[in-house]
Amino acid sequence: MTKKNKIHHASFRDPSGFLFHDGDVLRRSIQPIYFPQYKKLKESGFFKILNQKNLLIPHTETSVSENQIIITPEKIPFVTNPYEWSFEQYKQAALLTLKIQNFALSKGFILKDASAFNVTFHKGKPILIDTLSFDFYKEDTPWRAYKQFITHFLGPLVLAKYHGTEMLKMMQVHIDGIPVELISSLLPFRSQFSPILYSNIHLLAKMEHKHNVDYEGKAKIAKLSKNAQKKILETLYSFISKLTLNKASEWGDYYSKTNYDTDAFSNKIALIREWIMRLSPKSLIDFGGNDGTFARTVIDDVAEILVTDIDSNAIDLNFQKVRDNNEVNLLPFVSDVLQPSPGIGFDNTERETLIKRLIKFSPDVTLALALVHHITLSGNIPFEKSASFFASFSKKLIIEFPKREDSWVDSLLTRKREFINHFDFYNEKNFEKAFNVYFNLEKKTVLEGTKRIIYLYKKK
Amino acid sequence: MKFLYFDPGLGAMIVQALVAVVAGILLFTKNLLYKIKIILGFKSKDDEYDSIDIDNNNIEPDDEKE
Repeated sequence: MTKKNKIHHASFRDPSGFLFHDGDVLRRSIQPIYFPQYKKLKESGFFKILNQKNLLIPHTETSVSENQIIITPEKIPFVTNPYEWSFEQYKQAALLTLKIQNFALSKGFILKDASAFNVTFHKGKPILIDTLSFDFYKEDTPWRAYKQFITHFLGPLVLAKYHGTEMLKMMQVHIDGIPVELISSLLPFRSQFSPILYSNIHLLAKMEHKHNVDYEGKAKIAKLSKNAQKKILETLYSFISKLTLNKASEWGDYYSKTNYDTDAFSNKIALIREWIMRLSPKSLIDFGGNDGTFARTVIDDVAEILVTDIDSNAIDLNFQKVRDNNEVNLLPFVSDVLQPSPGIGFDNTERETLIKRLIKFSPDVTLALALVHHITLSGNIPFEKSASFFASFSKKLIIEFPKREDSWVDSLLTRKREFINHFDFYNEKNFEKAFNVYFNLEKKTVLEGTKRIIYLYKKK
Repeated sequence: MKFLYFDPGLGAMIVQALVAVVAGILLFTKNLLYKIKIILGFKSKDDEYDSIDIDNNNIEPDDEKE
């Protein structure tokens, strides 16, 4: 094995071990420096309980030698990042982290880091994916990952509460957490009167500011009893579990304001379901999938389903359904098709671009319903570019094209005012011409009672 | 904790003592209010939201992961 080129691109910050690709399988190497912790975590049954409670990704031990222990974690089909989570998803990830730290403390361990990037969504729930995040608890020491928890979880969540879910995307720029002084400065003055926000954010910002210059390890290390630490965790947990957004959704009830009647809508649902079923796909992605209405029609028949939408509130609604129905094969996440998540972190590779992840996920079917008119008319993206985008990761593409006569298209065109002539190209013929470059047309039908066409394309 | 591969922040380590005092006061008042509400009959004892504690009791020793 040549470790050099096989080590996972995001796995280098912690010397305790690293992830590497062994063919198609992702494995984790544990270095001797971490053997004592690993053995204790394993032998005490700590890992087992976390696995049974679906809090930590399960793994099997693949090999044990003096130089390294290799474990193989359960495969996660698609990893979403914190800046792709809805508010409720983000909350659940934060609560998971607190729950694990609280449990770890009671068993003589700690979470040595509390990065939001150590959590992802798997089988409908948030789960810790960094098995080596634990260390021994040393009596009366404060939680060393406390600040990280504030800058990765509490901060983004309260910023979203006051300023909207766009704030969660700040994690794309701040891979190491939003600086605490920045969080403090962005919060409204009234947040100073919340004991939780004052102590955990504003006071923390002041203390960090005071102590950031003369850091030579001279200052006496602060002490904190286990009981006191548990109180911090409990109040944070209670505060976060009650957090709600101050801003309401503009898109949340999209389907109640569609421009066609219920008959046409149920026809569309039936048609899409039938087309998907004929392809018997194992995996599917629904772009602009809102609350997952279309994806859910095939939820019992498709093993892995991704639903993505620009609207964080729709994703929240979708996630709520996942939780209510205990769905394990549908993963909702936020993304903007006009600006998909870039590669971030060191060397631009610590977190992969959305497109790279989609290529690896390699969906059997891509759904793009009621989307292309927004891409073309709101985003000014030419058909050729949209076609090449979908072709980069799709095998079969089911795409809806609303004609010029459609009322949504009409309204989008009207908004162009004096530039309306710049969009004369928006018609069926040009759409087909562009998509025919990358795809072969398999089926085409006009949705009854609407001005919309559905295409089934196969990638060339 | 020999392997400090990120800086926990000195201020953050010190501030936790103060944060814990605030947390202690909050929990004390919360529990007090909770008890008063039960005595006055506003709340039943099961009326609890999602808890931070992992319930150890319903873990079967041989409960395999699905």
